[in-house]
This record gives sequence, structure tokens and C-alpha cells, in this order.
Amino acid sequence: MNQTLLMTRTFARIFSRDRQALFFSLFFPLIFMSVFGLVGRSGNAPLMLGISDTAHNALSAEFIAVLQANPLFTLQQGEEASLREHLVSGDLKLLLVIPADFHDASSSSELRVIADTAQVRELGLIMPALQQALVDVERKLRGVEPLFTLKVEDIQARAQNYLAFLVPGMLAFAVMQISIAGSGYNIVEYRRKGILKRLFVTPLEPSSFIGGLVLSRALLCLIQLSVLLLYALLVLKVPLAGRLWALYLVVALGTAMFLSLGFCLGSIAKTQATIMALGNLVTFPQMFLSGIFYPIDILPHFVQPLAQLLPLSFLANALRGIIVDGATLLTLWPSLLGLGVWSAIFLLLSVRLFVWKEVAA
Amino acid sequence: MPIVQATNLHKRYPRPDRKGEFFNAVDGVSLEIAEGEIFGLLGPNGAGKTSTLEMLEGLTDIDAGSASIAGHDVSRAPYQVKQLIGVQLQANDYFDRLSLCELLSLFYGLYGRRDDPLALLERVNLADKAAARPSRLSGGQKQRFSIACALVNTPVVLFLDEPTTGLDPQAKRRLWALVRELNQGGMTIVLTTHNMEEAEFLCDRLAIMDQGRIIAAGTPQALIERYAPEPPARPLHGNLEDVFLRLTGHDLRK
Repeated sequence: MNQTLLMTRTFARIFSRDRQALFFSLFFPLIFMSVFGLVGRSGNAPLMLGISDTAHNALSAEFIAVLQANPLFTLQQGEEASLREHLVSGDLKLLLVIPADFHDASSSSELRVIADTAQVRELGLIMPALQQALVDVERKLRGVEPLFTLKVEDIQARAQNYLAFLVPGMLAFAVMQISIAGSGYNIVEYRRKGILKRLFVTPLEPSSFIGGLVLSRALLCLIQLSVLLLYALLVLKVPLAGRLWALYLVVALGTAMFLSLGFCLGSIAKTQATIMALGNLVTFPQMFLSGIFYPIDILPHFVQPLAQLLPLSFLANALRGIIVDGATLLTLWPSLLGLGVWSAIFLLLSVRLFVWKEVAA
Repeated sequence: MPIVQATNLHKRYPRPDRKGEFFNAVDGVSLEIAEGEIFGLLGPNGAGKTSTLEMLEGLTDIDAGSASIAGHDVSRAPYQVKQLIGVQLQANDYFDRLSLCELLSLFYGLYGRRDDPLALLERVNLADKAAARPSRLSGGQKQRFSIACALVNTPVVLFLDEPTTGLDPQAKRRLWALVRELNQGGMTIVLTTHNMEEAEFLCDRLAIMDQGRIIAAGTPQALIERYAPEPPARPLHGNLEDVFLRLTGHDLRK
């Protein structure tokens, strides 16, 4: 039998019997997605908005009606003092006080918005809505027809919430973890036990050894990723906007990239402790900088250009593009180029670093 | 023509105590081992036995000198040599999630062969462990399994690096019997050992190494006659261990 196939079968057998590793490689992504899947669902409820109307006139009633029509808000009316208490206790997100001079006289009046700004993430969303309600009322009052209108047609192609953001990130993260562990850690372990030495004295070609390890890992990685993906699509009901085959293609590319990186690390590190440290050194920064848990946009500006160039960023971007935006491979070319360049770099490095005789002996 | 030939072998390693300097772990070793011989390499720890063996096996580069197995140069034709030799290493760990049978099948496959692993396990008395994982084996069983792995290609030359270290007397005798049996089938065997009784019992010829050089070589009987301390009045009672200590000194090695 062909040596590469033989090694692929052997490694596939070995890896599939390591139940513990299989479990833990899936455990964290599954937990993360589940937790945020549940949180994300309750996060879409309308915002509780308190209104204290001290004007009590037709205009204020109209203003309130406009707000009520907005699905973003659920209104609660009452006295300012009691509503304030609700605000402090967190039942209300925001308190709006309509002043007594809120009427159709020519003088402008000021509405007060009371909120614990540190607590209300959606402030940027609420304020324009309030402004818009005011503009609507004002136009009506002055009998002015709006010069421009903006009509939003919701095609409801996908629900953009945190879970939809997180799932592609988690997939990318899992590809990285499984792949780096799959090549680097194993090599160090096999060397330490003298297994590589033992294999070296047989006629096994190094390319067959590497090929077998890569193919078996890639196979296993695709199966593990399929489990995560099925869970996200079927259980968490994250919609998949793009093509499934494109998704798998990107996952395969990412796997190849990180397996090569693992080979580099495994060739450098001589002990288990070193490989763990090296592994953490490359995975941790990427975990926080590559837009896995939050978008790269919220990072400090001087970090962003660098963060965009990280291997994991390209992978997460491409996966997110396919899952969330339904992007095609053609439109994702910058990410694919990035993946390709990193893969080439890691592959070249690993070929230089992984000298069969030196690594084995 | 000898089946194993080594001429003026050198192996350099960086000195652990002085940075940037090197020392010769193997310092001009020449060997000629005839087909069908059991050849023993003796010496204190750090004498260069394993390094010499590893150069013959193609496991480490030969820094100077040359070696050939059955006419194939070890450095220039490593893959021909690998097909001809069987190697048992000091470390005898294997992939632990495979059974003995699966491991042997893997080794058969690496030599492009297909054979019944069970028959080979039978030969080393491990047939009842066919489905066991290597970690479940005792020390003696591990050594025997190691030898089984080294036999999958029916090698012309079998290298054994300290095959009986750490074994109890029963396991040791069993292994000796196996080595004898293999040798009677025509296999050339090269082994290292610290056990003088083993060397005397098994080996047709020996070389004693110290500090990277061969300091004595010959049949066990010839070495005893030449180097064993002459007892003044009483009858001769020196043994090979006396020879060894006299030649290499009583000092402990690192």
C-alpha cells in the first residue's frame, strides 16, 4: 500500500481513538455558541422606555403615538419620580421627560433624556429614533412635507445578531485550535517518546509521514467542524446565507494553513512545555485580535491594520462573509489571498524547519 | 566481505560544559562484522556505543569516515540500507492508541509488505497480547515486542541497543534464547550491552569502547585470556567484568 495512505489511515485511527481530545476540541466552541445563542435570543426584546408627559396636550400625545408605533420601544408612562426609580433598578433603559412647554408655539422646547449611559449599549440606536419622532411631529405641525424620504425594504435575508457574528468566529477559532494541536503537539510528543526515531529507521519517506498526518488531521478537522456547523445551523438556527461548499473550501484552506503553522512550531519546540507555550503565544493574541468575539473595528485604531493581517482574521472574515453576508468566493478574494499567502509562508517555513533526520533523532 | 563495515567513524557533539567547543563522541571507530555473527559492543555509559550504532543505522550523520551494510553505503544509499536492517532502539515507545497487531501491520506496510502479525507475535511469545496496547506490556514484553517490530522486514542485520537492560532474569534468558534462535536462522546481530554475562553468553566477538574509541576487540575467550587479571596463586577466577573494569577503570561515568 502507498505509504502516505498507510500513514493517513494510521493517524486517522489514532486520532479518532483519542476521545478526550475530540471532546475538548468541540467542547469550548459548543459551550460558547450555546451560551451566546441563548443570550442573543433574549437580547432582541424591545427597549423599555419611560415617558413622563408634563405637557398633556395633543402634540405630546401625537409624539407619544409616533414612538409607540416604533417596534424598537415599549413605552411606560408615569410620573418622573417613580419612573426614575424604575430606571435606577434597571427596569427601564431610558426615561424621556416631555416639558410642560411642549406645544405648538413657535418657541422650541427641550426634551430631557435620562439614562445611565454606561448601561445602555443601544443609545446610538435610540437617539436617532427619538430625533426622528420629533422631526415627524414637527413636520406635521408645520405642515411641511418631507423633501426626501428614506424607505427601508427589509428583505429579511438574515438576522444580524451577536450569535450570527460569533458562529463564524467560533468555527475559525476551532479550525485554528484543532489544526495547531493536530500537527505541532503530536510531533513533539512522538519525538519525545522516540516514535519518530523508530519510524526513521524504516523506509518511511518524510513526505509520506507529513502527508499522512496532514490528510488525517484535515479529514478529522472537517468532521469536527461539520458537527459545530450542524449544531449552529440546526439547533441554534443560525441562517447560512452563502454556499456550503464555499464554506468547506475556506475551512479546508484554513486547516492547511494552521496545520503548516503547527509543523513549524513542532519542529522548533523540543519539549511539551515549549510547544504549549509557543502554541499559546500564537493562538492567544489571535483569539483576541482577529475578530472572533467582537469586531476588529472596536480595537484601538493603531492595532486594526495589524489585526486585519493575522491569519485567523482572514479565516474569520471569509467564514463570516459566507455565513452572514452570503458572499461568494469571488467577492472574498482579499481574505482568500491572505489565507493563501500565510499558507505559503507557513508551508515553506515548515519544509525548512522540519528536517526529518533532525526532528526524528 | 564483511556484512557490516565501518571505517574510521567520527561523531562530533557540542560540549555540554564549554560553549562553542566540540568533542568526539565517536573518535575513529573501525569495525568489520561477518555475516552470521553476533557482535557485541561494550563500554561504560557515554563511551559512544549508541552513537556508533546510530551511525551504522543511518539515524545520525557520519561526521567523518564511512560505513556500509551489505555493500550499501549508509550515507549515500540510506533507503537501501533501511530495507536491509532491523533496529531495536533503547526507547521502545509506540503509538499508544494502536494494538500490537495494528502496530505490526503498520511496520509491515512501511516496508511494502503484507504478512500475518499474529505469526510474528507468536514467535516472540506475545500472541495472547495481540489486541493489547503497548502501554499495557511489562518491560520484558515491551522488549520482545520491540524486537518483533525490528523483524518485520526479515532483516539481514539486526541492531539491538541494550536489549536486556531492566529485565528480570527470566525475561533476560528468554530474550537470549530468541536472539540465539534468530542468529541460527542466519541473521547477523549487532548489540550493545552492559551485561558481561550476556556478552559472554551471546557474542561471537566483542569490541570494548571507551571515550569514543575501541580499546579491545576479539572473542570473549581471547579477551579473557589476554586481559583478565592473573590470580597470583589461586586458580583463575577472573571473568569478563574484571576485564571490563581493568580496561575502562573503576571510575563512575557521567
